Amino acid sequence: MAASTAGSAARRLFLPWSARLLRAASSGHRCVHVGTGRLRASKAATEVILNVPETRVSPLENGMQVASEDSGLSTCTVGLWIDAGSRYENEKNNGTAHFLEHMAFKGTKKRSQLDLELEIENMGAHLNAYTSREQTVYYAKAFSKDLPRAVEILADIIQNSTLGEAEIERERGVILREMQEVETNLQEVVFDYLHATAYQKTALGRTILGPTENIKSINRNDLVEYITTHYKGPRMVLAAAGGVSHDELLDLAKCHFGNLPSAPEGGLPPLPPCHFTGSEIRIRDDKMPLAYMAIAVEAAGWSHPDTIPLMVANTLIGNWDRSFGGGVSLSSKLAQVACHGNLCHSFQSFNTCYTDTGLWGLYMVCEPSTIQDMVHFVQREWMRLCTNVTENEVARAKNLLKTNMLLQLDGSTPICEDIGRQMLCYKRRIPIPELEARIEAIDAQTIREVCTKYIYEKHPAVAAVGPIEQLPEYNKICSGMHWLQE
Amino acid sequence: ESQFVWQSGTGARLIQDRGRVSVCARPGQGAGSPAEASSGGGAYPSVPLSCPLPGVPKAVFAAAEGRERFETRVSVLENGLRVASQNKFGQFCTVGLLVNSGSRHEAKYLSGISHFLEKLAFSSTAQFGSKDEILLTLEKHGGICDCQASRDTIMYAVSAEARGLDTVVNLLADVALRPRLSDEEIEMTRAAIRFELEDLNMRPDPEPLLTEMIHAAAYRDNTVGLNRFCPVENTDKIGRDVLHSYLRNYYTPDRMVLAGVGIEHEQLVECARKHLLGVEPVWGSGQARDVDRSVAQYTGGIVKVEKDMSDVSLGPTPIPELTHIMIGLESCSFLEEDFIPFAVLNMMMGGGGSFSAGGPGKGMFTRLYLNVLNRHHWMYNATSYHHSYEDTGLLCIHASADPKQVREMVEIITREFILMAGDVGEVELERAKTQLKSMLMMNLESRPVIFEDVGRQVLATNTRKLPHELCALISQVKSTDIKRVVTKMLHKKPAVAALGDLTDLPTYEHIQAALSSRDGRLPLVYRLFR
Repeated sequence: MAASTAGSAARRLFLPWSARLLRAASSGHRCVHVGTGRLRASKAATEVILNVPETRVSPLENGMQVASEDSGLSTCTVGLWIDAGSRYENEKNNGTAHFLEHMAFKGTKKRSQLDLELEIENMGAHLNAYTSREQTVYYAKAFSKDLPRAVEILADIIQNSTLGEAEIERERGVILREMQEVETNLQEVVFDYLHATAYQKTALGRTILGPTENIKSINRNDLVEYITTHYKGPRMVLAAAGGVSHDELLDLAKCHFGNLPSAPEGGLPPLPPCHFTGSEIRIRDDKMPLAYMAIAVEAAGWSHPDTIPLMVANTLIGNWDRSFGGGVSLSSKLAQVACHGNLCHSFQSFNTCYTDTGLWGLYMVCEPSTIQDMVHFVQREWMRLCTNVTENEVARAKNLLKTNMLLQLDGSTPICEDIGRQMLCYKRRIPIPELEARIEAIDAQTIREVCTKYIYEKHPAVAAVGPIEQLPEYNKICSGMHWLQE
Repeated sequence: ESQFVWQSGTGARLIQDRGRVSVCARPGQGAGSPAEASSGGGAYPSVPLSCPLPGVPKAVFAAAEGRERFETRVSVLENGLRVASQNKFGQFCTVGLLVNSGSRHEAKYLSGISHFLEKLAFSSTAQFGSKDEILLTLEKHGGICDCQASRDTIMYAVSAEARGLDTVVNLLADVALRPRLSDEEIEMTRAAIRFELEDLNMRPDPEPLLTEMIHAAAYRDNTVGLNRFCPVENTDKIGRDVLHSYLRNYYTPDRMVLAGVGIEHEQLVECARKHLLGVEPVWGSGQARDVDRSVAQYTGGIVKVEKDMSDVSLGPTPIPELTHIMIGLESCSFLEEDFIPFAVLNMMMGGGGSFSAGGPGKGMFTRLYLNVLNRHHWMYNATSYHHSYEDTGLLCIHASADPKQVREMVEIITREFILMAGDVGEVELERAKTQLKSMLMMNLESRPVIFEDVGRQVLATNTRKLPHELCALISQVKSTDIKRVVTKMLHKKPAVAALGDLTDLPTYEHIQAALSSRDGRLPLVYRLFR
């Protein structure tokens, strides 16, 4: 989704071995969510001791939040999380947030593009940015001793970007090329279609990159206007993790971001409403070997109390890939069925959250002849969540969810991302014991109630690409959203 | 026959505009008492995540100062098994067993055994009736497990809460030494491997395949040149008896390291003594008779796979047809001093895709960007890789372009190899050294990476070079070191892998001639009819 992400940090490891070992299996890469520490807090305890550093938060006068966690490493990640993404765009300027992200590394009043690139490369640092539907992120990874320079560079690129006409022209080509690249990734394609149908005629339905005609026409004015409207103190967070002293970070923030404007007179622009529509998009292409499909219902926004039970439900469905064999996700009933019946190549349950809405569903890759069965078993499993999911399964999913959340927080970049995202979504970082308590409070009854509220008898959004003749027609899919005695 | 259907509007709007949740309950209200029940009448609190949940115990956090102390401790048990540990801040630990066993040890066996063992890992054992039982045991300690087999090592690893250490080590011992290897599990593994091989061939990214090919070319029929992936025809032939025979020879305590990160050394040693000393493996404890101790023989050579790559896209958006080549030369083992200059050289070559995501820091001023990708826009990719083992190493460059430009592409790469022996600028050398150090330190932020580093180093050398020691060694590299290692490297015969439409691929002899010439140019080919 993030259109130009970390280049998957695909740099060769110095140590002759590579480390993909034990990456916490997040239940679908889209549901990356609150992370926390874990402990066994007895109910009576009034205090719990954690072997992790505190997240310290301090606001600047202009409303910007400075948040960090110091783990004393010799390297660090520091970045800006901005409450602005493609959701704040309209039909005409859709693609601007992402275009702007591209322009960030193209030079400032102080540094030419070449100066910036040389400076970063010579200090062994990395500079990166990504845009999602609701957030724009710029971050740097560097040696801890270079923190002051990293913060200064971040401040420079978002406040003093030249936005030169020549560079804008050149970047159009790059973005169009990026678009082609995204189009070869069928998971991205399916999720864009899913948004297009679920949030049709609203801002969340549009893509992050924007349509070709916008990419060709967005001009300097659009970019400047986007910055002046959205890059305001109260909508920004400076987050850091690794070897960072909070006091030092706060001083740097005051020095380099103190002049950012706070909220304008009329207040911040309102969040555009995005209504969910149960509907579908089918792109049938019988020449493709496999079918790629997603089906989702409307779920809760980031802060909604139901989000945590929905994440447990998401973990219950789980994910699976046929090269796993019979293992790995045996806690998922759907994985067992898919594996034994050879029903799909892979599936992934997801829970994508936005401020006031979300998509909860399943992404799957199937051979043409197994689509119908797969969809049938997916829906049967969903109905089981609504009606007779057991305490045992729920207890297991709760444990797994906690584990996945906690194990994801490994290294300064994931921790920094967690801090930045939580600060934007919740205006705070949820303390470990609290998240524990929130997950602990869930039982099978909660799951049945929450799932019934969001899934049962709801009309889903469906997106499917490939040889999908066998995909049941929409009304049939809808009728699978309530329990049928077999 | 593409069809486009947009059916809309039958579903009702689900939830009335909920708006932004921003108002918290008044302080005092319900604090310390059970939070307000949700609409369903259950006990689940309906407090938005943006507001603190009342009645939660207060967290006392750890202080940051002076925690990250790098000290790796190693002990050896009576049976020869080594135990290595490294402290780390945090609630979790990563603990695992590394065995000096991989595809390079399969010479006298059916190729693919390591691939099978990797897939079979964490299945049923003497104590645990099923994989599910294992997962359930781990889940109680917030744990996950993983197994990875490479050419020279297999690793069984678990990340879990540190207080579950005893359970984890017991589990690891059982998984490695007492697996049941039931018929059903072996059958499932066969299917999983066949699926994986199929996916490997379907994937548009040919890098794993090319790496396999260049190893086969560089070390013909020996050690690290043996297949890492199980050949499809062997999937039916590998069964419990073959596996037991192999395991009897290779899964011996003297070939194992129990490594842990985020635990106390004494505790780990105690657990190791309890669970890994005097254990009778299921295959019996007879003497290992047939251990392959071959040292890697670098042969050089070429492996070609003609493949139609004109339509590798899985969807409607085409991916351009590319021919891939990889050219490599023998470097050195990670035990030799020259390993560090080679690692710096690899960093200096760098490269990547002509279109790759990521901002400054991805190696924009490495030679393969400056000299190759920035100058020849028709090239799709040029990336340097360094593979290193206990007895050999391979420095190689992967490049891809349109099939019609293969000859030109090969020459560009051979010239880069020759240029490596030329002058190295002070600025580019310093940059490469700094980037290598930062990459090392950034990778080592992650606990599983530390685990792997500790385990592998101890497995190979009985000790661990600490990160700051490695950084000091990197700082000492001079341009003369680069020149020296490259000159030595260029005396070797090249290893070449080529994949795709190979009509215009120069002959192996010509590539070899180019690499032993002064300018890296391919010999001229005169053709009457073009």
